[in-house]
Amino acid sequence: MKKKIIASLLLGSFALLSANSFSTQADKDRKALQAYFEKKFADRKNASTYFPYSTKDELDNNFKWGIKGDEFRLGSYAFDKGGRAQHDEMMDMPPFEDNIDNGKELYEKTPGMKKCFPNPAIAGDYPKFVKGKGVVTISDAIVSCAKDNKQKGWKLTKGKTADLEAYFANASKEKGKKINVVINSKEAAAAYERGKKEYYTQRGYLELSCATCHVQGAGQRVRNDILSPLFGHTTHFPVYRLKWQGLGTLERRIKGCNKNQGETPHKPGSTWTKELIYFMGYMSNGLPVDGPDIRK
Amino acid sequence: MKKILLASVLGLSIASAGLVEDAAKLDVKKVCDVKANGAAKVLAVAKKFNPEAIKLGVEFKRLGIRNKLYVKAVEEAIKAKKKEVVIKYTVKKKDKVKKFPLDYAAWRTCTFAVRALQLHKEADKTWRLAVPGDGYKF
Repeated sequence: MKKKIIASLLLGSFALLSANSFSTQADKDRKALQAYFEKKFADRKNASTYFPYSTKDELDNNFKWGIKGDEFRLGSYAFDKGGRAQHDEMMDMPPFEDNIDNGKELYEKTPGMKKCFPNPAIAGDYPKFVKGKGVVTISDAIVSCAKDNKQKGWKLTKGKTADLEAYFANASKEKGKKINVVINSKEAAAAYERGKKEYYTQRGYLELSCATCHVQGAGQRVRNDILSPLFGHTTHFPVYRLKWQGLGTLERRIKGCNKNQGETPHKPGSTWTKELIYFMGYMSNGLPVDGPDIRK
Repeated sequence: MKKILLASVLGLSIASAGLVEDAAKLDVKKVCDVKANGAAKVLAVAKKFNPEAIKLGVEFKRLGIRNKLYVKAVEEAIKAKKKEVVIKYTVKKKDKVKKFPLDYAAWRTCTFAVRALQLHKEADKTWRLAVPGDGYKF
């Protein structure tokens, strides 16, 4: 009996060590990213280094300085005072309330949905790496479940899927859940690395990488919008975008970004998109789930 | 059977790498100069490299028009001996039409095809330079 217990303990420890070792690099990346953003938004004194094109008025009056950790779940509204004020006004009557209600109804009435997702507070646990399938995003999991139960009209980008995700995100937020993406195998670590490479790769005729806007460019202004940071990006999806006049998933937003880079966009269900989301999800690990939310 | 499959996969990879390497060696301004080379030669460059860009998922697209549509439209204009290129495309399920001078469209499709592969190759060396904690110092 003693031997069995010791063996189980050893096996458990080994499994834990292995899981940790697969995410060693990703943890380093996430810590460095957080350190970068905390330094960037620490103090008005850093402004000339990080925001060379911002006006004195913007830096003095529109920026909030000294932002740390969890505050980044708000995206650009963590540091953009003007944007935050507009956002808070809209949140008095959130335009996505009906979507959450619809999501709840879909969860309760769609055949098989409760069986696929016994606990709706799972928004922070995706994307997952599943052996034999690769990266599975929350949109993937929902659409697959609907298909398995012979349901039609479920897309990866909007509509019923986004509504159900809104319900899941809201349930997760209410329970105080955090983003908890796991890298638990060599294959998962490789998928993470591929997603990371794509995130930092310049693409399209504009030769922009995702990082150009959302790492080095975060906080800078493009036309009248302040660019949001990668750290905290996945916490608040699905989002109701004023441009869309509706709710959309992370897949939908990435397709738009990819198009803006001047490239033929990758399909929302492609391995490219899924692995990019896997990397982005891991970068927000530990931050509270804060969706659904509103964005311009 | 396995050996044949492996050989085919390896062959395709080598062919793919070959096209990227070929594109990387080109001077875009020279090979895509329509005045110096003529529209037909410039189009041939685009036709050689753009399918590879599509395969690698790095094809360029501007204002709703994929580069493969430029290739097709330029080819049709040259065949019909027209000086104007007509591109038909779809944005959010709505049909649209745009017209361009032949020389401009030929230059555009050629630079897009070559540059997409060059950028793909350059990325191997440059992507880490933007990673905080890796190549990007802050």
